[in-house]
Order: sequence, then C-alpha cells, then structure tokens
Amino acid sequence: MNDLSMATTQALALLVSGDTEIWEIIFLSFSVSFRAILVASPVAVLIAFCLSYFHFPGRRFLIALFNTAMSIPAVVVGLTLYLLLSRAGPLGDLKLLFTQEAMIFGQIVLCFPLLVALSHVALQAVDRRAWETAITLGVHPFRAVFTVLKEARFGLIAAIIAGFGRIIAEVGSSMMVGGNILHYTRNIPTAIALETSKGSFAQGIALGFVLLLMALLLNLFLTYVQAKGDTHL
Amino acid sequence: MKKLNKQAIIVKLTNISYQRNKQIILHDLEFEISSENFILMTGQNGSGKSTLLKIISGLLKPDSFSLSHKQSVKNKKSWLAAKKFLRKNFCYLHQSPYLFSGSVHDNIAYGLKHQALSRQEIDHKVNEALKIVSLQHLYNRNSYALSGGEKQRIAIARSWVIHPTFIMLDEPFANMDKHSRNSTYDIINQLKEDNIGIILTSHDPHSGELDFNRHMHLHQGNMIEKTI
Repeated sequence: MNDLSMATTQALALLVSGDTEIWEIIFLSFSVSFRAILVASPVAVLIAFCLSYFHFPGRRFLIALFNTAMSIPAVVVGLTLYLLLSRAGPLGDLKLLFTQEAMIFGQIVLCFPLLVALSHVALQAVDRRAWETAITLGVHPFRAVFTVLKEARFGLIAAIIAGFGRIIAEVGSSMMVGGNILHYTRNIPTAIALETSKGSFAQGIALGFVLLLMALLLNLFLTYVQAKGDTHL
Repeated sequence: MKKLNKQAIIVKLTNISYQRNKQIILHDLEFEISSENFILMTGQNGSGKSTLLKIISGLLKPDSFSLSHKQSVKNKKSWLAAKKFLRKNFCYLHQSPYLFSGSVHDNIAYGLKHQALSRQEIDHKVNEALKIVSLQHLYNRNSYALSGGEKQRIAIARSWVIHPTFIMLDEPFANMDKHSRNSTYDIINQLKEDNIGIILTSHDPHSGELDFNRHMHLHQGNMIEKTI
C-alpha cells in the first residue's frame, strides 16, 4: 500500500514536472490515434450510409460482418498485420513494420467495424422523410447525403468518440506492428506494459492517469452530445 | 401574391404499376396532369395514394411506367431520366412534414441554397414565403418548437419558395385543428393562383373550401375520374 501511494505520488510529479519522455509518449499516442480516426471515419460513415439507404445483394451479410468484426481482439489484428507486413509477408516490400504508419493501419482496422456499425445505427435512426424531403426540394443527391449526415450528427459524433476510445487504449496491435520503439512507436498502452514489466510503476501509473482522464473527458463529452441529441427529439 | 406567367405544362404517365411484398398496389394506371389542374385524389387507407404521389414525384421507382410531357414532346422510359424530370418539376409534401433541424429560416432557405442566389435574395424570398403563410413571427424559431399545423404551413412555404411546377400534398389536413385548416385552405388556394399544379389527397372532399377542378378516385389499384 505504501509502495502504491509512493508510486502514485511519483507519477503525479512526473506529469506535473513536464517529464519529456512521458509527454512525448502521450503526444505520440494521441497523434497516431487521431490520424487513424481521421482516415477511418469518413469512409466508415459513407459505408454506413450506403448500408442504411441503398438496398443491394449482400447488404444484410455486410451488416452482420461489421457487427462481428467489432469484437476482433486487438492482438489478432496485430498478428495478422505482422504476418502481412513482415519481410517475408506479402506486403513486406512496403517496409512498414515497426513504423507509426503500421500502428495507424492497425488502429484503422480495429476501429473501422465499430465506426461502421455505430454510424449505421445512428443513420437508421434518422427519419426516412429527411432524405425524401431533401430530394424533393430539388437539391443534388450529394447534398441530400450531407443533410442526412447532419440530421444524424449526434449519433455519428458518439460513434467517432467510441471508435477513438477503442484505439487510444489498445495495446495488442500497437505492440506487435509498432514494436514499442522509444521516441518512435512507443505509445501510452505499450509504455505502460513495458514499464510494469520492468517494475517501474510510477511511469506506468502516470500514463494510466492520462488514459483514465481521457476516458472521463470522452465520456463527459459523449454524455453532453447525447443529451443535446435527446433535446432535439 | 405575384402571378407567375407560365405556359401550362402537361405531364402524362402511363402503364404505372407497383407491387409491394407481392401485393399489387397500383395496376397499369394512366395519369395525366396539367399545371393548371387542382386535383383532389381520394381513396381508402392503403389504396396507394401516397405511393402514387411518391412515384409521380420521382421518389419511388415503379415496377413499370412510361412518361411523356408536351413541353419537349419526349417519352421517357428510363427511370433515371424520368426521375430527373419528375424531381425537377414535382415537389412532394409528406402527411406529417419533416422539418430539418435548425431554424424556420434555414428550412425555407434549404431549397434555395443551390440556386446561385445571394444571401440577401434568399432572405427576401424566405420573408416572402413566410408572409404567404402568415408566419413571419416564426422566422428565427427552432423547427422542433413548432406545432403540427405550423410545421405543415412552413413545409408548404418551403415548397412554394422553390416554385415547382407541381406540388403534391399528401393528406395535409390530417391532425389539424379548425383554425389551422382554414389558414391552410387559403394558402393552398393561393398556390393555385400562382399557376402551380396541385394534387391533394384526402378522405374529405373539402368541396366548399378548395377550388378543385378534377377529382380522381383510387380503388383497388385502379384510377377512376369522378365529376366535381
């Protein structure tokens, strides 16, 4: 108990003192996850729109597939990407293994099914009359798509927040394809795993604080967004 | 209201058929409408009135159809080409209209924003439309804060402001109180004065209040023209 409180005090001191290594890891973690969510979100939302508004063969199968893919363990994604990106793998020539790009790719794969599934739910909740009204008022179908997305904005923001929450804290994929290289691919979850295995709890706890604070802020924002959405119903 | 000096446009749709879950909703219908027409369409619940209006407005693809219109003497069997023509000329209003999130101004300006108009011109047209439905005081009101009758009138103003050739009104008086009904009668009669062709579906003939010049009745997937 005494060790824990001492480690926690040291962790807070590390954060407050602006320890370069810690803050570099935090920045890298957010940079990778932001880039992943930025790339994944528009494509996922468009796919969700197609699944919600167009009827084509295999549509239901695709929805089931994305729902299933939500529960793929991060370590399985990491292992698959490792095999694909390793020197002997089919994508080995790209030399992406142990790079931030590989981590971003892994995180995109992880959050994509969640983004599609939750965006699909959000778009399904929008009244079909919104699309018909936009079209009958003579706007181009592309603008009608944006109108429907705007009507579903609260649900879509919630989907993106949930997707970000999934990847900022994942360790399996980042560890396997990023390699946990200091100053280059070490992010918060991989650093926590490493520091804990070394017995250096202070840094692990400090980074854990950041993740918890992030989770709290995201959930507060999500609650605010959902409450705002409810008042419009 | 300023009268628009438009040449009457006649649109003819033939061979309209539509099935839903293997049940025939519309069977080989023939339908002609002029922009000078004010048509009352009656029929029992489930007779296919809304389905027909959505097909005519280009919102619902029929199983078969043929379209011709006098303006350019064209026959269009391809749904893509027909849809484009129908959507350009027909504006459909739902029984319970959908207003987008935002203000009343945003809603009425919605269809104008792709028409290369300046902000001042859009604001002027929005004001003009609100004046027609006597709801100028709701200019900045959030659309969620409107009553059912106000929503219906705002939706009519939103359609009127883009000056379509035809407006399809699907049961506009459902769930309306007497006061809202009377205001809406006046607005609809004014649409007619603007040379906008109208099809209005209803259970009630409204013979005294609205100046219909045609009466169509849908029964078991077939259309019957009745005398007014």
